[in-house]
Amino acid sequence: MKRTTIPFGPQHPVLPEPLVLDLILEDEKVIDAIPTIGYIHRGLEMMVERVEYTEMGFVVERICGICSFMHGMGYCVSLEAIMNVEVPERARWLRLVWAEISRIQSHLLWLGLGADAFGFENLFMHCWRMREQILDIFEKTTGGRIIHSVNRIGGVKRDIADSELAAILAELQELGAAFKETARVFGTDPSIAHRLGGVGVLTKADALAVDAVGPMVRASGIATDTRLGGAFMYDQIDFEPVVETAGDCLARVLVRLREVDQSIDIIRQAIDKMPKGEGLPIENRPRGLPSGEVFTRLEQPRGEVVYYVKANGTKNLERFRARTPTFANIPAMIKLVKGCDLADVPNIILTIDPCISCTER
Amino acid sequence: MANPFRLPMVPRALRNLVSRPATRLYPTELRPRFAGARGAIVFDVESCNFCMLCARRCPAAAIECSREDRSWAIDQLTCIACGVCVEVCNKKSLSMSAEPGRVHTRAEATPDGRRPGREEWLKPAPPPDLTTAPVSAAATD
Amino acid sequence: MDTTAFLARVEEYHRDGWRLALINVTTVLPAAPAAHGAQTAVEAAAVGAAPLDGPGVFEIAWGFARGGEFKTIREQIEQGQSVPSISEFFGAAFLYENEIRELFGINVTGMGVDLKGQLYKTATRVPFSHGAVKARLAALAASAVKPS
Ligand code: SF4
Ligand code: SF4
Repeated sequence: MKRTTIPFGPQHPVLPEPLVLDLILEDEKVIDAIPTIGYIHRGLEMMVERVEYTEMGFVVERICGICSFMHGMGYCVSLEAIMNVEVPERARWLRLVWAEISRIQSHLLWLGLGADAFGFENLFMHCWRMREQILDIFEKTTGGRIIHSVNRIGGVKRDIADSELAAILAELQELGAAFKETARVFGTDPSIAHRLGGVGVLTKADALAVDAVGPMVRASGIATDTRLGGAFMYDQIDFEPVVETAGDCLARVLVRLREVDQSIDIIRQAIDKMPKGEGLPIENRPRGLPSGEVFTRLEQPRGEVVYYVKANGTKNLERFRARTPTFANIPAMIKLVKGCDLADVPNIILTIDPCISCTER
Repeated sequence: MANPFRLPMVPRALRNLVSRPATRLYPTELRPRFAGARGAIVFDVESCNFCMLCARRCPAAAIECSREDRSWAIDQLTCIACGVCVEVCNKKSLSMSAEPGRVHTRAEATPDGRRPGREEWLKPAPPPDLTTAPVSAAATD
Repeated sequence: MDTTAFLARVEEYHRDGWRLALINVTTVLPAAPAAHGAQTAVEAAAVGAAPLDGPGVFEIAWGFARGGEFKTIREQIEQGQSVPSISEFFGAAFLYENEIRELFGINVTGMGVDLKGQLYKTATRVPFSHGAVKARLAALAASAVKPS
């Protein structure tokens, strides 16, 4: 049969990011997809050659506007490990709280985009209206809505007063209650079930074979979550990874819906367990220049991120590498797209929650 | 197959018809910014002693400062609002404004070489005060 | 590197249920700039000292994750040597392997999916080859970017 090649992107029907796939079609069926990345590649790995390690933190934070906090945190914890800095307990808890707030923010953003992609404008607006409240919390506590610049090697720059923390928790719980209504629409609306159910099924075996991460694998019935590793205070939090078994687009939506509630609960526990009081130390400044190497893993909203940092005792790092969740999920995406209908491609791609900025550090 | 007559969004949509909009009519209606929000850098030339620390520590190289000329300049469009300069200034000459940002519609320099968003200060040294100048021993002789 | 022993270890990881977390390459220049008392690589290049002479190596790390555990297999190879592909065991490996070939110029034999140099669009061909890194550091040293 005659084959057609459709360049899918960089200008997009589904997301405002320059993801590029060359789709090779036979009739309406996709038989192959060839990814190209690099349309917005910024060369962070090359940049470490000339940017000093202290300043690099601000650059790493700008890898992505959605996981900005997590990227900053990943960079700082990597250097703290290399430089042997003990981060004060309160700072570690604050990082966890901010990280979970970012997760809620990211999932709400994605749920909105997802709704928009399957043509549910109204739902999109409600998700983004709630996300706005989260951004306000960020602005109140860190000073920035998207780029927080609150992490520093050795701790965090700002403390949140205990009364403020309680207020944030109350606000989040209220938001969580209001979110139930929206979540119910995602879960029960027949048009959504019709559009997403059974589309783009990633079986458990396939998910393992392509080394996918994050909500993507959890929707295929595998309970992996980097947070279970226990680092960054997660060992003191009681939680179970959210798992769905269907492995289709709808399951990936449901995983993220439930993770919003889960994050609110994690924040509640964290605020409960955190050492309270005014003026507790929140940072230990490191001394000297870094020398050594480390791999750091964090669970970002989209899945596991791995940082590799190698320092050689100079002001410039020898190597900085971020393997972001979207990069790890590209093989899974290609796997799903092969054999599906052209009309399903946008939804499949969107449900892996691709972040091209992350992929193209 | 799901029940096609189940329409969970309808109650919300009906409520939306009668509720107030969730958005503001920007720019006629502005939300006040939160205390502590980071924004444009505000410079107080009176207290600055031109130590150049801020210029050296700025990760974006947005500040130009010269001790000899006693000049200080910032490129607001290069500044990434990280707050490092505010933190390092010993003289507390720098602060961040929580005002809604000034809007620049272009980033390139104008034909006369002025960059939008660039702000400059110059504070010439005061003339030497002659009345209290020490009198040399030779003069009294 | 010993290809058979390496593949045997990879297979063991695969059998034990590990997941490929990343393949990372570091371009290691002949001598660390710190050895010459320079604070940065750029300064070292400015002194014109030895660090940029000689061939240098690539450090490759295959990282595997299982739950909270993380392990790596490390190898050092010289420029021009190739590494075997592990796509046979880990489905995601092809992406990393295409990446290291395009960015570092390391030849990978037997890749599962060969993207034929299409993955990245870069201005420099093979931006992290030793030659390219040295050229950049030398250019940086020549144009001393920041006053300090
Ligand atoms: S650090 Fe403060 S006192 Fe020093 S030059 Fe900058 S603004 Fe002036
Ligand atoms: S806020 Fe940051 S980027 Fe802006 S002038 Fe100050 S140090 Fe530079």
